[in-house]
Order: sequence, then C-alpha cells, then structure tokens
Amino acid sequence: MGGEVRKHPTIICRCNDVTIEDVERAIEEGYQDIESLRKRLRIGMGPCQGRTCIPLLVRILARKLGKKPNEIPLPTVRPPIVPIPLKLFLKSKEPGVEGE
Amino acid sequence: MRADVLIIGAGISGLSIAYTLTKRGVKDIVVVDAEYVGSGSTSRCATGIRASFTSEEHVVLMKHSVELWRELSKPEELGRYGLAFDQGGYVWTASKDESVELFRRLVTLQNSLGVPTRIVDPDKLKGLVPTMKVDEAKAALYDPTAGKSYVFDTLNAYLMACRRKGVKIMEFTSVRKLVASGGRVKAAVTERGEIEADTFIVAAGGGSKELMESIGIEVPLKNLPRHVMITEAFKPVFSPLVIDWDAGGAPFIVQTKEGNFIIGREIAEEPEKSLKSVRIDFIPTAIAPIAKWFPWLKYVRVMRYWMGYYVTSPDHHPIYGPVEEYENVYLACGYSGHGYMLAPVTGKLIAEWVLDGRPSIPQAERLTLRRIREGKLIEELAIVG
Repeated sequence: MGGEVRKHPTIICRCNDVTIEDVERAIEEGYQDIESLRKRLRIGMGPCQGRTCIPLLVRILARKLGKKPNEIPLPTVRPPIVPIPLKLFLKSKEPGVEGE
Repeated sequence: MRADVLIIGAGISGLSIAYTLTKRGVKDIVVVDAEYVGSGSTSRCATGIRASFTSEEHVVLMKHSVELWRELSKPEELGRYGLAFDQGGYVWTASKDESVELFRRLVTLQNSLGVPTRIVDPDKLKGLVPTMKVDEAKAALYDPTAGKSYVFDTLNAYLMACRRKGVKIMEFTSVRKLVASGGRVKAAVTERGEIEADTFIVAAGGGSKELMESIGIEVPLKNLPRHVMITEAFKPVFSPLVIDWDAGGAPFIVQTKEGNFIIGREIAEEPEKSLKSVRIDFIPTAIAPIAKWFPWLKYVRVMRYWMGYYVTSPDHHPIYGPVEEYENVYLACGYSGHGYMLAPVTGKLIAEWVLDGRPSIPQAERLTLRRIREGKLIEELAIVG
C-alpha cells in the first residue's frame, strides 16, 4: 500500500500480503469497519477467505476503536466457503468443454 | 445540522457529484449513506466502462464519461493513482452469421456518433485476447475505447479527494424521509437527527424510490438481482472484457487489476429478491459458455460469488435532474446496471443542473423523470440482447 516499509513487516493477511501497518494506516484514513477495510486492503479476499486475518483484523480494529471484539460486525460470508475448481461445475455436454 | 448541498448516497455517483461540485466552488457539502462508502451497487459491480451502446442518449453520455474517466485518471486530478482507468477494450464475440450482420449495423451507428468500434476477424480476435479459443467465432465487435477500472481504488480516489476538499462524509447514517413545504425540500430526517440543506441530491440507488415517495414523488425503480463470481488471481492474461453475444444472458469475463477473473451471466430472477438468496446454479450456467472460449478455466478455482442490484428504470436509462414539484431536489438514479461507468458524467451533469440550471449535454435533458411521466421512454436504435 505504499508508505514506509519496515525491514521485517508483520504480515497479517498472507494471501494478499497485508501488514499490520497497512491496517493501522487504513483505520487512520477513516476505514473503520471490516467490510470497508476488506475492500480497501483486499484483506480476507484471497483464497483462504479470511480464515487467519479476519480474526486478527477484528482484534486490531476493536483495540483501535476502544470496543470489544464481539462488538465488531463480521463481513458477509459468501459461497463457496473454500475455493472450488471450476471443472466440478462443468458437467455439461456442451462441445469443447470436458466435464469430469 | 445544515449544509449547502446534501447528497444522499455515498456510492460512486454521490462521490462523483460531490467531487465535481467542489471543483466548481461549492464549499459546504455533506454526503450521507445508510452503510459504508460504496456499500450498495458500486462495490458489487463488474467495473466495465464503455460507450458502445445502442441509443443516442447512452452513446453520447457514455462517450463523455469515457473521456472523463481518462481525464480523471491523470495524477493532477485525483491523486497519484487517480481512477486507474484501464482502457483495455471490450470484445463481443459472434458465432452466428446474423449476429455479424447486426454488428455491422451497430458499428455504423456507433461510428456515426463518434465511437470507433469495428469488426475484427477470428485471427485478430486471438491477438486481442491471448489464450482464447476462437474456432467457433465468426467475428467480433471490438470497442478499443472501452475498458475497466478497479472499483475500490476508484472509490478511494474519489473519497480522499472529497475529504481533502472538505466534503463531510457521514457513513452508517440512514435517511428515513425527506420533509418538504411550499415547493421546497427543507430537511432530511436521519437516524441521527435532521439535516437541513439548500439543495438535495438523491443518489441512493434503489433507496431513492422510498425517499422520493416520502415527498409524494413516484420514481419507478426496480431492483433486479444480478450475479457475479470471482476466481483466484493469476498473472495478467488478457486486457479486454469479453462478452459472448450469442450464448444468451450475455456471459462475460474480465480480469481485474489484482489478477482475479470476474465472470457473470444474466439468469432469470425476481425483482427485489434478497441479496443473500444464494443461487449456486448460477456458477455452472455462467461458466459453461465462457469455458468454451477459455478451456483452461476448468483448472481455475472460484473463490466467491455475490449478488448486486441493477436498479432499473422503465427504459433502462438513468433518471437525472430536477422534478417539477420541488425546486431544490435533483435525482441521480436508475442507471439500470451502468451507474459505475456513468459516474464521472453523472457528477458533471448534476453539478450543471444545480449550478447552471441545465446540463451542457443536450441528450441529458431527455433523461429527467418527466419522460417517464409523459410515457416518452427512450428508444434503443438497435435491439440488443
């Protein structure tokens, strides 16, 4: 996200390389809810769907806003829960598509 | 609380209107939204931008908008990253002879209105869209001026520019109703108290209908659910947005700046259906025609799928500008799926209506609520999918 980069940054979203500094900077910019932070930083938008980073993000945001973690609304859960290869959806008999 | 201008709706349209008004010298602007910035149709859209439409109104407005997208992507306008408009083009593929004939008529129409679309043969198509399997394509319609932009960067660029210029953005502040007397709207009643203003701009997507009802104005809008999915990210493979003209439901694929592929197709849906009503059958329906063009897609994983509304007007064109009953309220809604690409020109037009009394693009004057009341709906010059 630009700005200063530490020599050993603490990455909290491994899918999209988002660091704790990125999160703190975005909160200071005014992104103060999980949905907005997700969209600004792409945190939780990678293949793991936020399994590791969203709980961390909730705690950071709660601390910054002086709230309890359970007072922070969680983002919408979207299907499928885990990434699925598209070939599993391709059982059609349309020519040129090899369903499996 | 009071403001010179109150904009209801902090989607891309509301922010673009606010930004354009600040550029024209308006100081005291407040933008309210029921949720976070971009929480409605903006964040859910597929981010395509094009002028290759089939009505004069759409083509002329979108052409202006594409020029503004280019203009606003310069660093001196909206910061270092600007709107990040990626002019990678649009490609419509045809696998039937009659579609190629229709493309020829569309090209003539669009060229006459200054949009340089052209027909390309399958070989050229392969060059434009690497990895595409073009055996079934007879030809394609190519719009080199079209493109895409990354929605969250665009929202952020507008938001930061608005904040720098002193626009007050109030998120999570739902407007319950408008209050009017003597031919003027006086205030918006929110969950956090009333906001008075000299001018009110209603850019609240589907919510615009209910807000206008509170002052006795009927705005015929329907929320039509649309579905899209996104895959894992890959290195850049192709730039254009590709649409299959002949498969029905306009299946499309586009690669985002981040490398993910967004894939969509229209499926039969009930208006007003909840955005949480999952239709997993959408995924095979959308992927089947697209995988014919891109056989490697079968090895790609889908990460997420979501829904958004096309807030649709009776003639699928926006509802802009003033209403006859009140002198200080302006509409910016009903884009019918094209609000994102229209946003820069929406800002320009609404600012002109507010400050100059009329828009500088004559075609926009045909897009007020009056046309719908008088039954003079905008007609498409060619019937398209």
